Amino acid sequence: MAAVSVHQFAQCITCHAWSPDHTMVALCPNNNEVHIYRYSLDKWEKIHVLQKHDQIVSGIDWSSMSNRIVTVSHDRNSYVWNQEASEWVPTLVILRLNRAALCVQWSPKENKFAVGSGAKTVCICYYEQENNWWVSKLIRKKHNSSVTGVAWHPNNILLATTSTDGKCRVFSTFIKGVDPRGSGTSVSSDSKFGEQIVQLDLSFSWAFGVKWSPSGNTLAYVGHNSMIYFVDDVGPSPLAQNVAIRDLPLRDVLFVSERVVIGVGFDCNPMVFAADETGIWSFVRFLDERKISSSTSKYGSQFSEAFGKLYGQTKQGFWNDAIEPSRPRGGVHENCINCILPLKKAGDAIVKRFSTSGLDGKVVIWDLENQTDISSYL
Amino acid sequence: MAGHEEFVEADNAEAIITRIEHKSRKIESLLKQSKPVEALKTALEGSPPKTRDERCKSANWIVVHRAIMAIKDVDGMFSSLDPEYYDILMKYLYRGLATGDRPTCDQCLRIHEKLTERAGLGCILRALADTVNTV
Repeated sequence: MAAVSVHQFAQCITCHAWSPDHTMVALCPNNNEVHIYRYSLDKWEKIHVLQKHDQIVSGIDWSSMSNRIVTVSHDRNSYVWNQEASEWVPTLVILRLNRAALCVQWSPKENKFAVGSGAKTVCICYYEQENNWWVSKLIRKKHNSSVTGVAWHPNNILLATTSTDGKCRVFSTFIKGVDPRGSGTSVSSDSKFGEQIVQLDLSFSWAFGVKWSPSGNTLAYVGHNSMIYFVDDVGPSPLAQNVAIRDLPLRDVLFVSERVVIGVGFDCNPMVFAADETGIWSFVRFLDERKISSSTSKYGSQFSEAFGKLYGQTKQGFWNDAIEPSRPRGGVHENCINCILPLKKAGDAIVKRFSTSGLDGKVVIWDLENQTDISSYL
Repeated sequence: MAGHEEFVEADNAEAIITRIEHKSRKIESLLKQSKPVEALKTALEGSPPKTRDERCKSANWIVVHRAIMAIKDVDGMFSSLDPEYYDILMKYLYRGLATGDRPTCDQCLRIHEKLTERAGLGCILRALADTVNTV
């Protein structure tokens, strides 16, 4: 079994983030609060409730070196929480948004964070020592619709964004005074803040879940049309691969190693994608072994009922397990998984464990150690 | 595939319509030879999704419709239809279902069931989510 532990924290979880030592998890139970749970003596206990936002908290990120939590919400605000003694103290960050904030991520050096919003802008926030507050710089151009995902390149300068206009874009976020001169790669060394390096026009529907590979050479993102896109050599002439997914769309992806990606989404089951020696990506398998409900029904009770009605009365005998529409589908997650995070031990080159959270309110920790067929790709 | 190798700019509507007429004649001859799957492949191939011209889309739909209605053995069809055609076929099936015409809908539904079994729900998603390349 790849899933090592399952815990039901709430009815529905919007997003989650782990503390640096992985003993605490911060999550939003689909309301305006952030709950922090600690694992002690074999069970999870709620130790903090962060209440500052007025609307649902859409993104949480916990920095591993500086131990700060950043939260963004549909109320167009963002708070950076610092732990002082046993309390979490919020600092408001004025994002200057007129629409909801949708996603957030700390940069690799944790001196900046990026926020994607429904205002078709991306905010890059950095700390100004003299004034003791966080300043937000906006990337206003280029996006035609909400920015659903942001991902930092390992060089701390390049930022990839996905949007509901179907495009994935890479920008430079070089800020004078914050980033050392000449710290970018050849692609970004001469760029100024907000300059678009490349725009990837691969998807014709909403794009989500962008991530860079550990080296920063490959980019992966998903489209709502059940496709996943892999782009190598991001720059003036990128090499793109479109992989069509057989089942429902994904919402988020994670690079476990340079050549293995885990995708999660509406199938409630993590999907493993791997690249072979020539660099061609393909779907390997689902991670969770799921019991097939009956030999004839291929999609589970939820879809049988719908298809039964669609294909007419004559098929009624065929879909005889369609009585209970909301029966669990036999897998670990019972509803859409919308967030996947690595649980990397310091010193490990690849990610062996990761966690997922979903609309069913569960956080599941997965381990790839025993999955021998996948380990061969790592 | 046999025949149409000439490359036509997507924005020249007249050229596209002429190409579709060529295709139509080829399809009629294939149907007379009782090769409905070949006819369907020819019809689906070179479908002009990048054009915004409704006449081109309608002209191609008429041709595809003719091929779809001529299919009698749906399972047999799938054993010789390449997976690259699944997505575009699904889009045309939805156009067929939208017509509301009883025989068309019956046939499209029959094919839809088998196509979903073969290609999965992702195929339906791609047909529905793509609002740019419509048929």
